[in-house]
Amino acid sequence: MKMMWFHLMPYPKLPDDFNTKHHSVWVDIDPALFDRDVMAETYDTYIDQLVYAEDCGFDGICVNEHHNNGYGLMPSPNLIAAILANRTSQAAITVLGNSVALYNPPIRVAEEFAMLDLFSRGRLIAGFPVGTAMDTAHSYSMNPGTLRPRYYEGIDLIMKAWTATESFAFNGRFNQQRHVNPVPRPWQQPHPPVWIPGGGSVETWDYCAANDFVYGALTYYGYKMVRETVAGYWARVAAHGKDDNPHRLAVTQFIGVADTDAEAYKLYREPAEYFFNRSLHVYPGFTDAPGYITEASVRARYKSQVRQVARSKQMKHDLTWDEMVDNGYVVIGGPDTVREQLEEAARELRIGHLCAMLQFGNMNDELTRYNTNLFGEKVAPGLRNLFSEYPDPWWPQNAR
Amino acid sequence: MTKRLVYLFGIAGHAELSPAMRAVEADGWEIVVPSVPGFDGVAGFQPRDEYLDWLTTFWDSIDATGAVPCPVVGASVGGLFAAELAALRPEAVTGVALLAPFGIADGANPGFNLYGTPGPERMAHLFAKDVPDAFANRFAHLGPEEAPVASYLSDVAAANILWPLGDRGVAKRLHRITAPRLTLWGDLDEVNPVTNAASWGGAEVVAGAGHLLEWDAPDQVSTALITFLDSLDLSSLGR
Repeated sequence: MKMMWFHLMPYPKLPDDFNTKHHSVWVDIDPALFDRDVMAETYDTYIDQLVYAEDCGFDGICVNEHHNNGYGLMPSPNLIAAILANRTSQAAITVLGNSVALYNPPIRVAEEFAMLDLFSRGRLIAGFPVGTAMDTAHSYSMNPGTLRPRYYEGIDLIMKAWTATESFAFNGRFNQQRHVNPVPRPWQQPHPPVWIPGGGSVETWDYCAANDFVYGALTYYGYKMVRETVAGYWARVAAHGKDDNPHRLAVTQFIGVADTDAEAYKLYREPAEYFFNRSLHVYPGFTDAPGYITEASVRARYKSQVRQVARSKQMKHDLTWDEMVDNGYVVIGGPDTVREQLEEAARELRIGHLCAMLQFGNMNDELTRYNTNLFGEKVAPGLRNLFSEYPDPWWPQNAR
Repeated sequence: MTKRLVYLFGIAGHAELSPAMRAVEADGWEIVVPSVPGFDGVAGFQPRDEYLDWLTTFWDSIDATGAVPCPVVGASVGGLFAAELAALRPEAVTGVALLAPFGIADGANPGFNLYGTPGPERMAHLFAKDVPDAFANRFAHLGPEEAPVASYLSDVAAANILWPLGDRGVAKRLHRITAPRLTLWGDLDEVNPVTNAASWGGAEVVAGAGHLLEWDAPDQVSTALITFLDSLDLSSLGR
């Protein structure tokens, strides 16, 4: 199993009364909450942490894209990835990713990802998320009804652009270009591995299965809550006649490791409560937009009582620390406890790529490094050989 | 002469004729309501790629009725397309009544963010009074699993047209409307504020009415509509 260090880059100084005094952490968050000095220092600290993750043996380091957001300070993950490509030498530079429909023309993504792949000498993982409703429809005002066809067409254009041997014309529904001829082309040939972060839509499962892209079940609610999503994905993989290679899947998981279970219970409470009860204070009206979810997924949602209950639970923002732990939102404990839980999760869900989130909420730099180091030293070695009998054709050619 | 008009419904789709439009009907007008994909909640609806596709969809739906040329009454989203029809196909419209039409927005006062609101809460923001049963239970006959899907599709259609602010550049085409025009607006309209009426050259303001004013203030709206419609020169209809 490949283990990757995933940073959301949360703003660490949201006020204690954020939940009650502010409308939403996303879309219309008050810009006065952000102190420029804190912001600048936070970027430095977080980038250093990502570099440190490589030193601790992580196979990849991950960044992602959010807009108008108080817990994700990367509207342009490519800027961060460019720094990481320069400051690291072995870890996969994992951008999860660029919301293709937000780029006009989307060939811009082909160009910037190719640059990152060159900077890193073939260590890029190219992630193409649809993007959340908060990012795309509400913050960038993309029409939700056309977001997905724009997204699929954009990826199609990018893949053609990366693999074409000469300039060509592209006449799509949303994009028309006389000369598609990006310079540069990627280091990896025919193209960097493509991962598709998703939130559980049926179409995305089919899209990944049909195209042999990795499906990234990016959840904040841990492996237990993502079971239904992952089961749906594997069912579609089988329906497409594809093998069950665990490397077809990536899953995110908040993790807190300490010397003992009791110490972990004490250490990670505050940052977890900050994240789940403050950073995730998203106004429910922003979590969807008419047309953002396809008809098939809406129908599936109303038929899934499990998912409805889960959603209502997640929206309440007064989770107790014990609920977070018991429900697996955060896997905490001593090294053996964490390893056992992660191994159980990996075997049950067939997780070939674990995106470990070892900094969350307002976790300070010292604790983040402690967590990262312990995981790298005492947890990762026991997990590394999981699924080693399977090839991983979705891993960058020059990453460790 | 047959007193016939085309009615283009509003943002929440066509549940049934409003009390105001029933009064117009009682005045002897035949009311033709085109069926428009998406707003009917029928499964399989695909959002349109661009606004021109929506104009084509509405033109096709209107032409399929065989009713035009005739007066056109349009509410909300329907007001947008009624105005477009009058501006771009003036030969099809002998008079146009617009009820809080979308199409021109004011960035300084964009109105209530309807689609930044949880779905079940949206309907209440379209009315100054209680949500009429016709809308509250519009798709109830489809059952508990399919009703919310149909309601969602109707929202998808409207949002696909209006996203993000409801401005479709109509201000640039208003000068082309030569047919007699009546514009009505509810003073309590949350989603398309009455202040937007100025951009349409003014409106008769209906007190105590929200966005779907024909439901909130049926007497005032029907009186204004009947007065306007009966003033039109029906001989020009050729029917």
